[in-house]
Amino acid sequence: MSLFAQAVISGLMAGAVYALLAVGLIITLRTSRILNLAYGETYAIAGLAVSLLTKAGAPLWLAIVVALLLAVVFSVGLDRLFLQPRSHWPIPMLILVTLGVAFVSRGVLLVLAGIDPLSFPRLISGKPLRWLGGALPPQGLLLIVVGVATAIAATAFMAHTRTGRQLRACAANADAAQLLGVDVGRARAIAFAIAGLLGGVAAVLLVPLTSVDFQAGLAMTLRGFIAAALAGMVPARGVPAGLCLGLFESFVSTYVDALAQDPIVFVVLIGAALWQSRAIRHGGGLRA
Amino acid sequence: MSPNLVRPVLIGLVAAACAASPYLGLPAWTPALATVVALLAISLMGLNLIFGNTGMLAFGQAAFVALPGYLAGMLHLHLRLPTWGAIALALLLTVIVANGVGRIFVRLPGIFFAVGTLGFAFVVEGLARAFPSVTGGASGLVLDAGTTLSGDAWYAIALLTLVFALASYAILVRHGTARTLRVVHHDELAAAVAGIDVARVKVRVFTLGCAYSALGGVLLAYFVGVVVPENAGVSRSLEMVGMVMLGGPGRLVGPLLGAGLANWLFAVAGFAKQYEILVYGVAFLGTVLFAREGLAGLLEAAWRRRTPAVAAAPDAPPAADAQHAVAVADAAPTPAPRGVRLRVDAVAKRFGGVQAISNASFEVADGEVFALVGPNGAGKTTLFNIISGLEAPSGGRIFVAGRDVTGADVHERAASVGRSFQVARLVPEMTAAENVMVRLDQIAPATPEAAKRAAAHALLADFDLGELAHARAGLLSAGQRKLVDIVRATLGPPALLLLDEPAVGLTEAELDKLAALLRRLKLQRSAIVIVEHNMDFLRSVAGSGVVLHGGKVIAAGSVDAMLGDEAVRGAYLGAIA
Repeated sequence: MSLFAQAVISGLMAGAVYALLAVGLIITLRTSRILNLAYGETYAIAGLAVSLLTKAGAPLWLAIVVALLLAVVFSVGLDRLFLQPRSHWPIPMLILVTLGVAFVSRGVLLVLAGIDPLSFPRLISGKPLRWLGGALPPQGLLLIVVGVATAIAATAFMAHTRTGRQLRACAANADAAQLLGVDVGRARAIAFAIAGLLGGVAAVLLVPLTSVDFQAGLAMTLRGFIAAALAGMVPARGVPAGLCLGLFESFVSTYVDALAQDPIVFVVLIGAALWQSRAIRHGGGLRA
Repeated sequence: MSPNLVRPVLIGLVAAACAASPYLGLPAWTPALATVVALLAISLMGLNLIFGNTGMLAFGQAAFVALPGYLAGMLHLHLRLPTWGAIALALLLTVIVANGVGRIFVRLPGIFFAVGTLGFAFVVEGLARAFPSVTGGASGLVLDAGTTLSGDAWYAIALLTLVFALASYAILVRHGTARTLRVVHHDELAAAVAGIDVARVKVRVFTLGCAYSALGGVLLAYFVGVVVPENAGVSRSLEMVGMVMLGGPGRLVGPLLGAGLANWLFAVAGFAKQYEILVYGVAFLGTVLFAREGLAGLLEAAWRRRTPAVAAAPDAPPAADAQHAVAVADAAPTPAPRGVRLRVDAVAKRFGGVQAISNASFEVADGEVFALVGPNGAGKTTLFNIISGLEAPSGGRIFVAGRDVTGADVHERAASVGRSFQVARLVPEMTAAENVMVRLDQIAPATPEAAKRAAAHALLADFDLGELAHARAGLLSAGQRKLVDIVRATLGPPALLLLDEPAVGLTEAELDKLAALLRRLKLQRSAIVIVEHNMDFLRSVAGSGVVLHGGKVIAAGSVDAMLGDEAVRGAYLGAIA
């Protein structure tokens, strides 16, 4: 088995997930101006929901539909119940609110799903595909293709549809958007719904290959954020940034050390952040 | 008993009762739990300093709590250092790490700081798990040196350290320092304009906060006897933020209240371990949503309701202080020599394809009131931002009092450049006087607190704001806030004063006061540059000036001649009509 090919395959699989998470995170950030630290919970909720439902005997397709719905409801509910009513609050307080929601979600998932990691059957099984000496399970191919396609579809929606433009207008200036006739509440609901869906899709595609536990949420938020930071918070760059991050991580893990993966990726985040804030003085885009 | 003694005696009694409480047989409140709470509270005080006082979103603080325990254990285990030496060295190393991390992180914009600290906790937890031979892996690193001490001895150690932490915090975070942290928390830009080196303050706060966290953390690790990866991790960090929120962010006793309540509730209710995160999460979210001031805030509010006299204004400064006060307020470090105070030399500014200012040049001498006029969008505020250092020019140079300040940071210019804003930038939770004192804290840091207070009062009294000096800035009218902002900018007095539309929103009487203040500053040889659309006011105070239009200086000279000029009228009125 070729190390290189295997590294590329693993990298693309992880990258597809990061692309989904990055695009979802950027869409909510660009619509609400809030860094949604509870975003990764959509992944944990969907992953654990499918696992628990299939374990209880539900058909896989039904479990997936329910899980995706739960992720969307969680995401939209977070905005509707907690963020929108407090839109006059300072942004740091709202970030704290999302952190609090993530914390509660973690606690609920621990009580419901227990401490052990769970998983569920693959959507498609079969013999691994061979490619240049690397092995790719069919589920992995599905993950890369569907994941990247979904993420690209979401960015295209943001860039090319009327609703997408309205979403961006809300981020630039919610009051002005409202005056121009944009229904800000509806626009935000759409943005958070898309984000929730992307998080759920990521879980449905990835979890069968690994597993998920109650604390997966913040780790996923962090990974999605790193990819989003590499993308400069631009939706269209979310997919390439996610794939690059996945590949980079995979190469570090293959050729350096699996244990070095987290610290090195973290250094990448700090580097990306420093690069992006190079023009900003004293910690924030403030102007008189 | 004299009323001055009531407070200290009361505090002493409450403190003594708290210290003795574990021996009173309360349910689940044992000396062991009290020791944990006291040590945890010390760690939380560090987070409180960083997050509660200064508003930095530090979401990975547990890393700095567990790190010294790990370091001390490893130094003892692998390098055979004696326990005390290992602890001391571990604390030192943690503070050095915190300082390095802080230096990098404070350069990051808000959300990156939050995610960066969160990521740091992930990394430390991951490393602790990843190298079992060095760190003990998932089962943790055993620290058995503390087992020889009795429970009561540990409680005494914890109490003494807590008292030390509380006392040092109370001494450090008061007066000027407390105000500085508050302004940085609320408005970094206003802080920089007042002369605060925001990045340096944040690095110091982060380092010092991590030192508190490390001190509490290393003792807790030795008391418990083991440090495990979860101690450094994200969940633990979030619990810490939750406890600070619960207790009351930015309050001295907030961390103690938060740690005490959370841990005692867990012990007394006997929650199963699996409910722990949920309960912390609900407490955290509930506090963020419904009680942002936490328990300490609720207690304070209740205390204020019970004893309204306490909330009344403190005594006005005695008249004797007032003389000294004005002297302080006008304590120009060195009387500046006569001559040009501001030289704008061929300054240009581009925003992408927009040429906001092109080749603007003019000089302002001491004692001169200089008008900067032009239609909206002419580049006046941009020019102000360049002169005060908020934006860098694309070309040209700025000289203030003969010094080239083109590359200098905002706070470095603050002593010689005072600036007011179109919309006053005050901290609403601070009183008018405290907002004024923020600048004094920077330009005259050695001044005694009472003298600073008296100086702020005297200046505010000049504007008939003396009675409102103790009112919170958030309760003042827009015009009053604006005057407070202007009064703050004139402290020093600075060699150069920049006033951005000072007359807007002021009453006739307030305008007269403002004109009188400007005349006094003229006598003190400040140079004053005013951006203003109120031409009558300009004529009454300003001698000369320039007209900006489309980023270019289209006229210069005396105000009367300028305002009579055809081209100027065209640019101005034409743009409006």
